[in-house]
Amino acid sequence: MGDSSRMTGVLITRLWRRAVLLACLLLAAPAWSADILLTAAEDGAGVQAFAQALAQQRPEDRVTFTALKDLPAPGRLPATTRLILLDLPGLDWRLQEPQGPPTLVLRISRLQAHQRLGSMPHPRISLLWSDPPLDRQLRLIAGILPQARRIGVLYGADSEFLLPELKQHSTSLGLEIVPQLWDNINDSRPLQILFRNSDVLLGLDDPQLYNPKTAKNLLLSSYAQQLPLIGPNAGFVRAGSLASTYSDQADWLAVLDRLLDHSPANWPRSLYPDRFKVVGNPQVARSLGIEQVDEASVATRLAEGEKRP
Amino acid sequence: MADDLFLDSQPLPQVLTATRLKQSAAAVPGSMTVIDSELIKASGARDISELLRLVPGMMVGYTSGNQAAVNYHGTSASDARRMQVLIDGRSVYRAGLATVDWSDIPVAMEDIERIEVFRGPNTVSYGANALMAVVNILTRSPANSHGTRVKVVRGERGINDFYASQGAGWETGDLRLSLSGQQDDGFDSDASGADRRDSRRLSRFSLAISQTLNTQQSIDLQLDAKEGTNQRPYTYSPVFAGITEGGNNSDVTAKDYAGSLRWNFDFNPDHSLYIQGSAQQWDRQQIWKACDAKVSFSPELTQLWQMNPNYAELLARHMDTYSQGSAPPGSAAEQALANQVLQQWRDGASQSVCGDIDQSTRESRYDLEIQDTLSLSDSLRLVSGMNYRYDRADSDTYFNGTLDDTTWRLFGQLEWRASEHWLLQGGAMYEDTHLSGNSLTPRVAVNYLINPRHGLRAVYSEAIRSPDMFENNVNWSYRVTNLSSPAYGQTTGQYFVKTRGPGNLDKEMMKSRELGYNGFFADIGLNMDVKLFYDEITDMISSPLRNNQYIASNANSARFTGAESQFDWRVSNADRLRLTYAYVDASTSNPLDKAQTARNSGSAGWLREWGQGWSSALFYYGDDALNQYRFERVDLRVAKRIALGKANVELAGMLQERLDNQPTTWADNNYDHRHVLYFSAELEF
Repeated sequence: MGDSSRMTGVLITRLWRRAVLLACLLLAAPAWSADILLTAAEDGAGVQAFAQALAQQRPEDRVTFTALKDLPAPGRLPATTRLILLDLPGLDWRLQEPQGPPTLVLRISRLQAHQRLGSMPHPRISLLWSDPPLDRQLRLIAGILPQARRIGVLYGADSEFLLPELKQHSTSLGLEIVPQLWDNINDSRPLQILFRNSDVLLGLDDPQLYNPKTAKNLLLSSYAQQLPLIGPNAGFVRAGSLASTYSDQADWLAVLDRLLDHSPANWPRSLYPDRFKVVGNPQVARSLGIEQVDEASVATRLAEGEKRP
Repeated sequence: MADDLFLDSQPLPQVLTATRLKQSAAAVPGSMTVIDSELIKASGARDISELLRLVPGMMVGYTSGNQAAVNYHGTSASDARRMQVLIDGRSVYRAGLATVDWSDIPVAMEDIERIEVFRGPNTVSYGANALMAVVNILTRSPANSHGTRVKVVRGERGINDFYASQGAGWETGDLRLSLSGQQDDGFDSDASGADRRDSRRLSRFSLAISQTLNTQQSIDLQLDAKEGTNQRPYTYSPVFAGITEGGNNSDVTAKDYAGSLRWNFDFNPDHSLYIQGSAQQWDRQQIWKACDAKVSFSPELTQLWQMNPNYAELLARHMDTYSQGSAPPGSAAEQALANQVLQQWRDGASQSVCGDIDQSTRESRYDLEIQDTLSLSDSLRLVSGMNYRYDRADSDTYFNGTLDDTTWRLFGQLEWRASEHWLLQGGAMYEDTHLSGNSLTPRVAVNYLINPRHGLRAVYSEAIRSPDMFENNVNWSYRVTNLSSPAYGQTTGQYFVKTRGPGNLDKEMMKSRELGYNGFFADIGLNMDVKLFYDEITDMISSPLRNNQYIASNANSARFTGAESQFDWRVSNADRLRLTYAYVDASTSNPLDKAQTARNSGSAGWLREWGQGWSSALFYYGDDALNQYRFERVDLRVAKRIALGKANVELAGMLQERLDNQPTTWADNNYDHRHVLYFSAELEF
């Protein structure tokens, strides 16, 4: 019997250990499952759909949406929350205090960030860029218009800071950037000068230059010169630009999914999504005598190109 | 997609819609030459007609220094009777007198964005008169004409031009206002070595406004006016012997006015419509002095002319001889009239009398067009519409008053992209003209696209040309006023020669067959187009427009066969080479109809940017015989651009050197020197 009691003791010990382990596991659970708080000033169907999709993507996390106006100051939120900002008012609110939970900012362009933050990175904020990365757009040009050498780029005071980076990327691709300042959208002369000296136009995501008001003249006059426009975003492709890269909700969910798997300490200060698609305008391509853009295969080729160091 | 948070929610209009996009060069259902703004500038040309030398197969000649005669492939010597000429869609072909006054077109070269020349018949898209080719002159849109431009040109041969324009934009629209003037001495001497009276002076006004009304609607307004003087040599030679007095010129004061309003409506990206209304007036004041024997106004001689013009002319040319004896042999009635005329001659009707001839004309046109573009699917597009036109010609000399005509047109064209490679385009036009009846003309083109940049095409088209008012309905006689001494008791008189158009002329018919290739080699920047053609014109009206014995009929025919090619090669960012060549074989029942056809013609150009604002353009133009005269010329333009703050100045020198020693088109068109030099200075800010 002594043996059996010893056996019982061993069993109990084992059970105890298992219970402790289980308790440890249970206590440690927050490391896996997190509070993800989404916020935006405007709560529309798109925001709700995205919040739902993210919740489905991460069933083990607690994904909630709270309108910006219902949130306390950022510093009063639990430090363990992961905050996801969906619009610029959210960023302004977040920037009130340096303290606060780690934050991912979505739907912000380089230009918007430059206006708000300058070039100073914020330690707890990760900016996930909404505008197509310049080198990706340049490689899109190289892919679908291999003969184009002179890339005409309109810029304004707000977007001028992107030029050095653009030039750097273009040099490595053997392309030449032809920059042209367009500081008054009611004066079309800079466009004419640029069109004369370019093989293709690359649109910078600068709403001062590319907006519903300027779209008509920009697209009609570049088309009259048989000059394709690449970018600035997917919306412009529908309006009449030849093609652009873009990331949609599905791409962003995948990118977020991976980021949220990592500890916020490892989040990059800024990031272009590595998941993206290509959209082309087949009618414009046909009219310009350009092969139809095979969206899937061009996107695959571009993605493969980005994997290489 | 609609609720995707990450796709731009900015409500952007769809700008380049299926209805706005045009066929790529390889898919155009015919042959097209585009003279772009770079070429226009580099050519240094002061006239549209000179630019057309860059178009393969275009025969550019001159009746006089201020009267260009441009024909595609050939036919009538002096007038572009078989070519449609449009400015922003508005025809400037004069309906009354069957001609295009190139020098009087109220458009400054500086306002032209590009010229599209459709080489071949295309009445389906451009209406009647688009028999052999269509020249579509497109002006710069006001939205692309912002700022101020001032330009002056000075040079030899009395060249003295200016241009000034101001463009401005506002929230929903743009405008351009331009003023320009042109002046030169024309040719220097006629066949006898005397001074050639063919200088010109003109000034123009042009206003273009475009206004967006809302996201779907916009309007375009254009107002153009031109006035000027075109010298004309005095060409009247008295019919009767012994008359020594005469005038010294028959100069024309030409005023052209045009206005058009176009309303564009985009229902949706797949459906758009425009309505364009235009009004035009061509006013030609031409009053000149003529002297002849008083017998010119004899009612009996007039009667005799109407009875038998040959008999009347024989008598008139030999009055002195016949007045010694009796009338030349003829019918009893003819001889009776002739004897009365001879008696008048003996009784003093041989005396000289002078008076004024008013050869002025005023032509007006009102035009209303509706065109609808409907994209039925990604691969099917329908362009259809209707057009109403009212033409009126006012001339005592040519029409004994006023003549008018109305034209209705219905047209439709379907473009079907059967597959990635095959494109089928066809259409038809129905036209009904009050003066010359109705007609239906079809057009079919098949394009095979090897890839989007290389296409083969086969085109069959029929086209008609309605006889114009002059050919069909001329009622030509000279009323002479302010007679220096009374003739037959009157101080005004009706000249005995009268010419009537037959009134029952039928339409000319053109059948055209074309095989072509258009390709763009993107890796080397070479654009090329080659075409083989076989064109036949039947029921052709080819009688020259002259008043002694004008007997128009549909009795003639012509056939033009040959090949054309054009190469446009952007060798580098700094160099552009352009070559055109046409071989045209003409076979015509009336020899005059092939006099204006050069068997070999072409052009070569080299445009270069040298850097630091310097640029040059070297062009060669040649044809081996236009009206038996060879034409070869080299043009060199050297320009320097200087930036002055926000302003730009361009100084340019232009040298034209004739390589041959021949007159231009006619023996009367000669220059004293083979070269001409002119300079321009342009300021933009």
